[in-house]
Formats: sequence, C-alpha cells, structure tokens
Amino acid sequence: MADTTETTGARPVHAEATGPRLSRRRINTGSLATHLVLSLGALVMVFPFVWQALTALKSLAEVSRVPPTLLPDDWNWSSFDEVFTALPFREMLTNSALATAGRTAGQLVFCSLAAYAFARMRFRGRDLLFGLFLSVLMVPSSLLVLPQYDIIQQFGLLNSTPALFLPGMFSAFGTFLLRQAFLALPKELEEAARIDGAGSFRIFWSIMLPLIRPALAALAVITAMTAWNDLLWPLIVNTDPKAMPISAGLTSLEGQYETNYPVMMAGSLIASLPMLLVYVFLQRHFVQSVAFSGSKG
Amino acid sequence: MRRRTLLCSGLAAASAPVLAACSDEGGGAGGGGRTTLSYGMWDPAQVPGMQQIIAAFEKEHPDISVRIELTPWASYWTTLKTSMRGGTAPDVFWMNAVNFQLYAAHDVLEPLSEHIARDATPVDRHPEQLVRLYAYDGTQYGLPKDFDTVGLWYNKALFDKAGIKYPDTTWTWDDLRDAAAELTNPRERVHGFCSEMHRQFVLYPAMFAAGGYVLRDGHSGFGDERSVAGLRFLTDMIDRGWSPPQSAMVESTARVRFWSEKAAMVHDLSAMAGQMYAVPALKDHGGVTVLPKGRERTTVIHGLANVISAKSDKKAAAWKFVHFMAGRRAADIQAKSGVTISSYAGTQDAWLKSMPEFDLKHFLDMEKHATPYPSSKNTAVWENLQYPLLGAAFSGKGGIEGAARTLGEQMDRALKEERDS
Amino acid sequence: MSVFPATAAAKSAGRRAPTSAARSSRHGRRAGYWFIAPLGLGFAVFYFWPMIQTFYFSFTEFGPFGGHTWTGTDNYARVLRDVTVWQALGNTLIYCGIGLLALPLAIVIAALLNRRGLRGVSLYRALYFVPFVTLPVAVGLVWNWLYNGDFGLLNEILGWFGVDRHYWVSDPSTAVFAIGAVMVWSTTGYYLIIFMAGIKAIPQDYYEAAELDGAGPLRRFFTITLPLLSPTLFFASVICMIQSLQTFDLIYIMMGEKNPAVGDTQSVVGLFYKWAFMENAQGAAAALAFLLMLLIAGLTYLQFRLQRKWVHYG
Repeated sequence: MADTTETTGARPVHAEATGPRLSRRRINTGSLATHLVLSLGALVMVFPFVWQALTALKSLAEVSRVPPTLLPDDWNWSSFDEVFTALPFREMLTNSALATAGRTAGQLVFCSLAAYAFARMRFRGRDLLFGLFLSVLMVPSSLLVLPQYDIIQQFGLLNSTPALFLPGMFSAFGTFLLRQAFLALPKELEEAARIDGAGSFRIFWSIMLPLIRPALAALAVITAMTAWNDLLWPLIVNTDPKAMPISAGLTSLEGQYETNYPVMMAGSLIASLPMLLVYVFLQRHFVQSVAFSGSKG
Repeated sequence: MRRRTLLCSGLAAASAPVLAACSDEGGGAGGGGRTTLSYGMWDPAQVPGMQQIIAAFEKEHPDISVRIELTPWASYWTTLKTSMRGGTAPDVFWMNAVNFQLYAAHDVLEPLSEHIARDATPVDRHPEQLVRLYAYDGTQYGLPKDFDTVGLWYNKALFDKAGIKYPDTTWTWDDLRDAAAELTNPRERVHGFCSEMHRQFVLYPAMFAAGGYVLRDGHSGFGDERSVAGLRFLTDMIDRGWSPPQSAMVESTARVRFWSEKAAMVHDLSAMAGQMYAVPALKDHGGVTVLPKGRERTTVIHGLANVISAKSDKKAAAWKFVHFMAGRRAADIQAKSGVTISSYAGTQDAWLKSMPEFDLKHFLDMEKHATPYPSSKNTAVWENLQYPLLGAAFSGKGGIEGAARTLGEQMDRALKEERDS
Repeated sequence: MSVFPATAAAKSAGRRAPTSAARSSRHGRRAGYWFIAPLGLGFAVFYFWPMIQTFYFSFTEFGPFGGHTWTGTDNYARVLRDVTVWQALGNTLIYCGIGLLALPLAIVIAALLNRRGLRGVSLYRALYFVPFVTLPVAVGLVWNWLYNGDFGLLNEILGWFGVDRHYWVSDPSTAVFAIGAVMVWSTTGYYLIIFMAGIKAIPQDYYEAAELDGAGPLRRFFTITLPLLSPTLFFASVICMIQSLQTFDLIYIMMGEKNPAVGDTQSVVGLFYKWAFMENAQGAAAALAFLLMLLIAGLTYLQFRLQRKWVHYG
C-alpha cells in the first residue's frame, strides 16, 4: 500500500527507464492526462460527502443562501444535537451492528456447513438438493417479504433484533461461494485425516475450514455490507424506533424533518460513518473480497 | 395451519434466542397483579407530555400501568392493521379522522357510548364537531384529545423589507394576493406565499373559503365550481411566480422555506407552533393570524382521538384510561406541555402562554368557523387520487379545471364502490 | 440478498463435476444430511414456504383486518390491466438500462488504472469504492440535496456553464435519469474492482506481443482487454441487471408521495411495497411479485442464451 500516498504522477515513471527518450516523454504526458481524468472522477466520487459534512455544519438559513457558501460562516453543531434528540441513535446503531453480526455469523456457519457437504461428501440426492438450494438465487428476497413477515409475526419476533437477521442468515450465494472454495482443495488432506481417525466434523472444522479463509472473509465482508445497508425488510418488521436499524431510522428522520437539509445531512453522516470507518481500516480486505467474489464467477 | 406450527417449533428448537424472545412477549400483566396497558401513538414530540399524563393516571389507579408504543407516522397505520390481524394491537391507541370510519365499520374498535353514559365522561366539554368525527352509525367510538386548526404564518422581517402591513383578521384573498406579489423577490429566491399541494393545510381550506366542499352527502366536491375557484386561486399564485411550483416544494417544503426565511407567508397547523418557536429568527419576527377571508372565513379543524381495540383483553382498564384522558386533569397537563391544543374547553391558557411571542389565540378563535376534516369509510382511497391528479396543475403546467373535474369523477367512482361494498 | 454469481453455477457444474468431490469420500453418507440440515431448514422456513405462500396469496384478497378470500385470477387480471404496473415496468427497464452504463464506465477506468507504472492506483481504487460502501439511504439524501432545484450545488455548478436551474428529481422528464445517475455513481466502484481483478488475470505477454506488432493502446484495449474480460463482463452484467430490477432504496428515499414525478420513477418493487404495505392490496402485490420473479428468471435465462454469442472463454 506504499503507493497510496502519491496521487500525482508528474515524476518520470521508474520501470520505463530503459525505453528510448521519446517514448518516455510520451508516457509522461500520457500519464499526466490519465491522472487528470482519474482525479476528476475521484472528485466526483468523494466531493458529495465533503459537501454533506459542510452542509451538516451550516444553519438552515445559511444553506438556503444564494449563491451557496463553501465553508460554514460559523460552525454550527446544533443539527447533530437535533438528530440525537429526534432519534434513539445509540439503540439504532446497536441494532444495525447486531443485525449485521447475526446475519454474517449465521451465513458463515450455515453456509460453510452446507457448502462442505455439497463439495466434499457423498450422499443420496446431493446434486438434486444443491440445485434446489441454488434456485433460491433466482428469487429476489424482496418479493418474499409478505409471507416472511407473517412467519416472523407468528414467532412473536416483530420489533426484535432476531427479526432483522433471521431470513438473511440463510444464503444460497454464500453456499455457492464457499462450495467453490472447498472444491478447489486437494482431496489428500481429508484422506490423511481419516486415516488418523478423525470424524467428519473434526475434518471440516479443524482441517478444511481454515484452508478457505479468503473465501470466508469475502463472504463476511459482502454479507456485512448487505446487512448494514438493508432497508426494505427492517422497514417492515421493526417499526418501533428503538428496534430499528440505522437505515430505517434515517427514513423516519426524513419524515420528521422534511427537507431540513442540515439535519438530514448530519443524520446521514452519522449513519454512514461506522461502515466507512470499518472500510478505511480494512480497505484491502474489502477490495480483495469483492474481487474474490467476482473472480469466482 | 398445522404446517406453520410445525415450522415454528422446528425453528424455535434450532435457535435458542428465538425461544427466549418468544417467552419475553407473553403476558401483559406485570408483577404484583398489575394490569399493563399498551398505548399506541406516533408523535415523538408528545411522548413527554403523555408520560406525565400517564404518571397522573397511574397515581389514581395504582393497579394499572401504561406503556407507550411509539411507531413513526410513516408506518403507523400499516403496523396497526397487521398487528390487529395478528392480535398484538395496542389496547388503546391514537386514531385520526382519515382512518376512523374504516376501523369502526370493521368492528375492531370498542363502542364507548355505554361507558360514557355510565361514567358521565365530560364529552360536552370538547368541540362538538370533533366529537362527531368519531361517531359511526350513532355510536361513539373515540374521545378527542386535542385539536388542530390552520393559520396564516408570516415573517415580519420580510414584510418590513417590502414595506407592507402585516396580515390581520380583516384580510381577504385580495390582500393575500397583493402582498404575495409585493413580497416575492426572485433574485433572493424569496416567495410571497406557498401554494403547497397539501390537503389539510392548503387545498381544503382554499376550497372551503371559496364556498366549495370536498365531500357532501357521499359525493365529491372537486367538480364543484366554487371548489375549483379555490384551487385556481392557489395555482394562480404558482403561475404568476408568487409561490414556488409544487416540484420545487417537494425539494424544499413550504415549512422549511418558511423556517429559512425564503417564504413570507405559509399555511400551517397550530401544532407546529412549538417547532416555529424553536427557530430563533421566527421566535424573533414570526407572526400568525387567521386565514384570510375568501368568499367565506373558514379553516380546517381536525383532532386526534383515543380509541380502544375491540380485541383487547383488558377493556375495563383501557376504558378507565380513555376516560381519564378525556378529563380536565389530563387536558391541563397536555396543554402545559405545549405541543398541541387540548380539546377540553378552558384548558388552553397554558398553551397560549407557553409562546407569548406568537398570537396563538387566533387558532382558538378560528374553531368557531372551522370546517371539520372531511372523511368517509375509505377516505384513504380517494385521498390517494388527489396528488397524482393535481400534481401537474400545481407545477405550473396549467389545467386545474380539467384536473379537478377528473378527480371529482374518479372520487365519485371510489365513493360509489365504497357504498356498494 | 444478492444474486451474485448465478453464472458461475453453470460454469463450475460443467468444469468440476468429475473431479475430487464426488470420488473422494465415503465417510459422509449420513453425515452429509446433518451438514446441510440447518441451512435446509432455514431455506424451507424463509424461502421455499414463502414462495409457495406468495403463489397462494396471489389468488386471494385480504381483508383490512385479517382473513382472506379466494378470488381466482382477479389479481393477475388487475396487474395486467393496471397502467401503473406497465409504467413501473418501463421505469424499471430504464433503471436497468442506465444502471448498465456503470459497466463501460468501470471498464474504462479499470483500463486507465491498468496503465503500466501508474502511481496511486490503490488510492484511486479506494476512493472510487467509497460510494458503494455508503448507506444507500444516506446516498439518496445527499443527492437529493445536491439536486435541489433552488439551493442545490449541482444547479450552481451548471449555472457557471450557463445551464438554467432545474428541479431534477421532481420534474417527471428528468427524475428517472437523476435517480439512474446516482445508481451509476454508487455502483461504478464495485464493478471497477471486479474488472481490475479481471484485467490483472490477463497474461502480460499478450500485451507485449501486441505492442511488438505495433498495436496502440486503443487497439490493445479492443483486441485483448475487452475479449478476455468478457466472462467477467458477463458476470457483472447479470448482477447489474438483477440488482436494477430490484431497485427500491434510492427511489424510496428520494421521492415523496407529493412528488409530481412519483409515477414516472416508481419501480416494480416500489409498487409492490406500496400495494402490500401502504394500500392493503396484498393479493395483488403477491401476483405482481410472482410475475416479477418470472420476468427475472426469464431475463437471466435469456442472458445465458446470449452469452454464447459474445462471451469469450479462453
């Protein structure tokens, strides 16, 4: 990650030093243009968030000034106070965290078990069952929320944390991804272990599972992102503000404050910050995981 | 049914937290033989006031406790319906005029008439038109807790800048129109007025003031000439640029424009007084008065009521609570909390005094000539027709007459379906 | 819930079947069922049973406070007759079309980032990925503010270039594109990462050989990068299509009920939500859901058929 520190590449590019002079200069101007285009793109990607933060710190009167000011006249933190009094933010963040953790843990456990069986074990009807499980991939879960809601209601789980993650703990995509990883392992590993007298679960748990760590990490990252961002399902099952995750909470802030943008920007900033912080610290894992999930296609 | 139970127990066995949560839910009665009532409401701003009333109630009835169940407005009605279906609805909950008749017609509310007669609940201390909103087929199902009227809010600083007199009780629509023209300043993006497409604050009051109606004897008033004249008064302001078009007001609402001093005059509810008061600029130079007179002087009155779920298994305790809520003590506490106008006559002084900078008594004065919020059994069905059909005319595209006529026809069709079902 | 590599399912089935898995172990005859049981139970409760129920619900009508009656194919008739359904379907296809624009954009950026010796690659990559990590609800709010007709930054910037002020998200003729643009903005980073990984996997000597033949960068892009990236591109386009067909979050947060453009931006899933949870028309909503499932399955099938024509497996 040493190269993250430099954004402008005006200096000669090292590896091309062997080429003739003319070509080197061409590469330089070319890379300058590339940097220009890429930086412009990066600005488009990131500036909305800068503007969001600046707006959150302005007063309502200031954000409706024409033309707009760039920096706040005086740094006004009251929008953040309003958000914290309007919404039980601490509960909502906890709910989001628990929902994300529950869903991720559930998928890692259930999917890895099933994926292992589908990849490395033999039993009657295996391929048929695998096909059946994969069919879940074809049905968008957003269209199953009506009966899913009824089921959660029958369990008496409306407005509870388990309601947020229960259906999402079971994933066809996760099973598929992990099965691919298990398939790639050499069979000799298991045979050696079996000769040593290890049972199926022992082999799975202590030998095979550690070997597919990159796949598990990829699944964890992708599931966590999906869970944190989920909106439709929580909007339906958890209507009590204290049981809502942050995504649904933000929509109720919009209902209360209409188009009071400083408050909305403050709220959305607080809501997206936790995942962004995790991303900043685990950036490489995020990128690798997404790339991994794509390359398995 | 058997299959579902099987699945349920299967899953319950598979995951321990489910079991724990299941057992948590059971039983409304807490320890010590106390009955716990659940009270459903949607407005977080009123929670503190309600909690004080509940404390006073619990003191009087030590064997009953009340737990507030807050559901945000956006999901309140959906949640209520599904929880009625699943048998988990709150024992007592807030009701509004839009939804009342549907609930009463489906027998999911407890009839209160007998209780009222027996316990001599002071129904006559509440505005009669509000009480009537919550009667269905001659039976009373709900008791009003508060009421809301619509007033004309204005920004004194913007009036001073334009050098015109503040609105007062003598104002007519002509005065409103002239002032709106003077106050509009395109360079600063200031508008004189906001013809926002909002049925309760703007559309209905304009239709009533023009001498029209929304619903009469089961027929739509949108095709009525006077109603259309009222709507045209509004769209006219948009066409002349004295009000932002509706497209602009979904991006920045009338209320927020007024808060940020970009709108000189807006219609808004008495219940918003507290939020207006919290904006320093408006506390300093905001004002409020009665709605200007069109053909008639009027406003829209609406109030919420407390109702009891017919499915509740604690109806006796629930009635005690609703009875208490309709009484003087509860009204006094509610008035002092300053959020809404209590509907109990003579308790509004505390509310008026809570914001001395605003002349809030206009809201009370308007009660006399107010028109109740129109509703039928399936109110939501025909209300949902309004915004899509009127949207273009309120966005400066013209054609309000045709749009209103179409709306009238479609609303009549919906009303006919309602009668037939 | 993502529907990610539906593609890989098909591919691997062909590639992997006869190898290690099947032959390797005899120990798991019975144990295999225990391993898949927890997931199977979850699927049964939360997916298979609801699928059956959705199908059943689609032939019934719900009372507002419980109970439902059999209404035969009425709901399907309503769905097919209702103009808002066709409008929502049209909107959804527009979202799908706009959403796909993220792919060429991501490929171009990926190709630029692939320039030999370019510095700051991982910083760029990290920045481009930020919108994808951000809560969609927050993204919608931020863009609503940027798009704001009176006080928004976008109009201000466009004003420098002489473009007139415009109410982007409430004008029926621009709203759907305004939302679509946000979709592209927030997903480009995701596809960028996938494409960069795909490009990295292309053997470097292909490029060197082409360079010796005198092929310029554009030529190399079209004759090497693009064809060899086609399996990844196919995978991405399937995801992109399925995701766009399910669009809900952004529209829900960016459009209010009073927005004059509401009908012109509503997606099928949005309409489903409105029917099922706002208008108490669960039966019709179930019918709509069922038809959308068929549509997605059909389109996915179509993409698989078409892939033979353009996807290049090395």
